[in-house]
Amino acid sequence: MSYQLLTVQSETSIVKTLDDKKLYIPFDPDNTDFQEYLEWLAEGNQPLPAD
Amino acid sequence: MSKIKVNRLENTSTANGGIDIDTSGHVQVDGLQMPTAGALSNRNLIINGAMQVAQRGTSQTGAGYGSIDRFSLSLSGATATMSQESFTLGQTDVPGADKYLKLDVSTGNNNSGIFYKIEAQNVYHVINNTVTLSYYAKGTSPTNGLKVGIMWYDGSNPSTRVTESVTLTNSWVKYTHTFTVPSISGITLTNSAAFLEVSMTQDNGDTGTAAYEVNLAQVQLEVGSKATPFEHESYGQTLAKCQKYFYRKLAFNAQPVWLYSDTAGSTQIHFPTEMRANPTFSYSGTLATDINIYYGPSAAYRSFSGLGGSAASRQSARIDVTGISPAVTAGYSLGLYVFNNAYLDFDAEL
Repeated sequence: MSYQLLTVQSETSIVKTLDDKKLYIPFDPDNTDFQEYLEWLAEGNQPLPAD
Repeated sequence: MSKIKVNRLENTSTANGGIDIDTSGHVQVDGLQMPTAGALSNRNLIINGAMQVAQRGTSQTGAGYGSIDRFSLSLSGATATMSQESFTLGQTDVPGADKYLKLDVSTGNNNSGIFYKIEAQNVYHVINNTVTLSYYAKGTSPTNGLKVGIMWYDGSNPSTRVTESVTLTNSWVKYTHTFTVPSISGITLTNSAAFLEVSMTQDNGDTGTAAYEVNLAQVQLEVGSKATPFEHESYGQTLAKCQKYFYRKLAFNAQPVWLYSDTAGSTQIHFPTEMRANPTFSYSGTLATDINIYYGPSAAYRSFSGLGGSAASRQSARIDVTGISPAVTAGYSLGLYVFNNAYLDFDAEL
């Protein structure tokens, strides 16, 4: 499992890759995938930079 | 004011039916329980309690959401299959039901089972109240019984969980549980992640690996101390409610994509109902095989390498097509085609 930032035309989202499947997660505090991402960050992890 | 004190009102020619009043003042009409609290309609706090909607598919072995909408599988180290099953139409074991949920646990573990999360803002009216959970079930229970309960969770803190234990049999039986809703002391229910959880699980203290099977139909949670008849609704009504949390966009043709460069473009997907949160986007299918882009000026499909969601609201999402090859002309448009069994998913589940 990995996280990577994705910026397209000034819009940034988070791409979570899990078992070869990509999940595009918005920066929305109500989104549970984003909440999981924040918990992952709080554990000291860092996403891969945008390509 | 005068009162008529009776336990029963019925026609002189009938042996049953009429109106029954129990010692608590609760009323049955022609054998059907009337609500003891709350409204007469929209009573069921469970969406898809009839198990009819299964946007993701009819079977899952992975944890989380994967088959019947709104019902989540907890594995917690267990091995299990959760699936949507069909009754023979007209059967009388569970009157009026055509679908049910089957949880087939081949290797059990504690906390394995079925979870259902209700958005807190939709159940503020049950705070300090009594609720009744009813359902039909059959099967086999974990060694310590199937633990059926409710609790609050605000994203960080749980309330106490109130539970009752059920021992299932090999016949369909209607079960009811009346719970005093747990205290919300120390819980922040205004959090977007807050929910009321209904669970049917192997006990937390039971780490046995014995197999068990739960077949479940017509789940209803309602305010009050009595279970009223299951509230049927149309498939379309239930689907619309489910799509607030998850929307699978199936095959479609010629969705316009505006090309903002010679190798990339974007399109807008509008959801059929406003979602609970800005959703997570994913897709299934192979790009340039199951999901294609058609470029009119060349009258041919183009190859491309990326399909991603870069911006979303609760009402729509922008999807970007990237890595188009050979290059096209910026400012033109493409047609986006999703073929075969491919689909686009938008997930805003709790």
